Amino acid sequence: MFELGPILSKAFATLSGWVIAHGVPAMGAWIINKSIQVGALVLGVSLVPMVLVYAERKVSAFMQARLGPMNVGPYGIFQTLADGVKLIFKEDVIPIGSDRILHVLAPMVACAPAFVCFAPVPFGKGLVPINLDIGVIFIFAVSGITTIGVLMAGWGSGNKFSMLGGIRGAAQIVSYEIPRVLSVVPVLMFYGTQSLQGIAMAQTGRWHGFLPKWFIFYPVIGQIAFLIFLIASVAETNRVPFDIPEAESELVAGFHTEFSGLKFALFFLAEYAYVFLSSAMAAALFFGGGDGFSAGGIIPSWLWFLGKTFAIVFLFLWFRWTFPRLRVDRLMQFCWQFLLPWSLANIAFAGLAVLLRS
Amino acid sequence: MIEQWAPIVIFGAMSALLIGLSLVVVTARSVFRGAIALAAALGVAAGLFALLGADFVAAGQLLIYVGGIMIIMLFVIMLSQRPLAKLDRQANDQWLWAALFSLAVTCGLIVQFRAVYRGVFFNPEAAPTSASIGRLLLGDMIVPFEAVSLVLLAALVGAVYFGLGKEES
Repeated sequence: MFELGPILSKAFATLSGWVIAHGVPAMGAWIINKSIQVGALVLGVSLVPMVLVYAERKVSAFMQARLGPMNVGPYGIFQTLADGVKLIFKEDVIPIGSDRILHVLAPMVACAPAFVCFAPVPFGKGLVPINLDIGVIFIFAVSGITTIGVLMAGWGSGNKFSMLGGIRGAAQIVSYEIPRVLSVVPVLMFYGTQSLQGIAMAQTGRWHGFLPKWFIFYPVIGQIAFLIFLIASVAETNRVPFDIPEAESELVAGFHTEFSGLKFALFFLAEYAYVFLSSAMAAALFFGGGDGFSAGGIIPSWLWFLGKTFAIVFLFLWFRWTFPRLRVDRLMQFCWQFLLPWSLANIAFAGLAVLLRS
Repeated sequence: MIEQWAPIVIFGAMSALLIGLSLVVVTARSVFRGAIALAAALGVAAGLFALLGADFVAAGQLLIYVGGIMIIMLFVIMLSQRPLAKLDRQANDQWLWAALFSLAVTCGLIVQFRAVYRGVFFNPEAAPTSASIGRLLLGDMIVPFEAVSLVLLAALVGAVYFGLGKEES
């Protein structure tokens, strides 16, 4: 009931049939269908950050015993919309000392991969935009391009704070990328596929009739993998307690010091889109994707998926308002001396478990 | 009909982009811009792999070259270069002979590749390749695969050795 996947596939089949009946070749009908799907996905991914910004302000307010935004709309729900309008009308400043081309290109390079990364994410049963066989590796590969945007912003602004922020960002993201990728390897080993949809589908079923067969419930291996993935994801999205590339008390605003208006907004869009992407990946890899507690229940799989995703997004927000920022050297030490050895050990544990199981 | 010329148009556009970006890499006066163009060129090369149906190689190209090596390269440029010092010439007086030599090598490669890869064309149906690559790497190719990893280990140990030596002196 209320499953979006079959309804949408039927709708698109009807559409392409109608278009072909009016004399459009099959390839043209396919292009029209895909364009509509891509448009819907891009629109959805650009709307999610607006929701997350509002959620962040409300969560932070409640954690500090404040009310947060209250004036624009009921409970301030249109605050982000008002902020967006303000950002659109702001002056677009390009500093004299900057490298013009890099300065203009940087927000686009940082933001565009965030949209591409959502292509293999399974939003529910039959709701995956493209079921890529290399899904997980694809997401890691494409999201790595954002770092180049951060570096372009740091260098192109012609400002020492931007430069320092860019250098810190590059060092941090390259370092934390390694444990993040390695923490997912046990999942790939257990299910024998890199397709996010395949992994999510393989986690349906129950142990002893009640405990879901999600990867997080595999003893020791699942929990270590999820913790490393979560910590490294927080670091990858440059959020507190790993926000040293934009630490405002040290670097003004780091790599986006010199950006204003929509260019500044694009950096924020990328950050929140990546928070949502990391949560969606965690939901698909460790929490069974669209698998609910009650099989065949009234709640559709896409709602389960979004619920799990937003629950993990809440963890990101919670961390931001709970932990103090790490120092630069401690940050690197934590990555290389703690996360990396444990992710390698976890791969060894997983190999042993797979060997014993077969 | 559209199925036939669409891949050719995409391939032509991507190749033109790749050649243009490569020219920017060797001619740009700002080292940083040249490195950014190189990153973009490597990304376009990943697109060409994807067009051939080699999905795992395309993702690996992006992950390792664009997301790893190029970022380290940009990092080194940021640490070592003065910002916006774009007055360095990127060529010396030998550029004409170098260009002629590159052209000759390119022509030779084109002739050779046309002979070897005759009839090989876009094959998106080859797409899920990661399983076969894995079987190959841990099956027939296990000895070279492990030998290469030993070489990498030696390089890592060497880097650590030189890094430590500098700090002590």
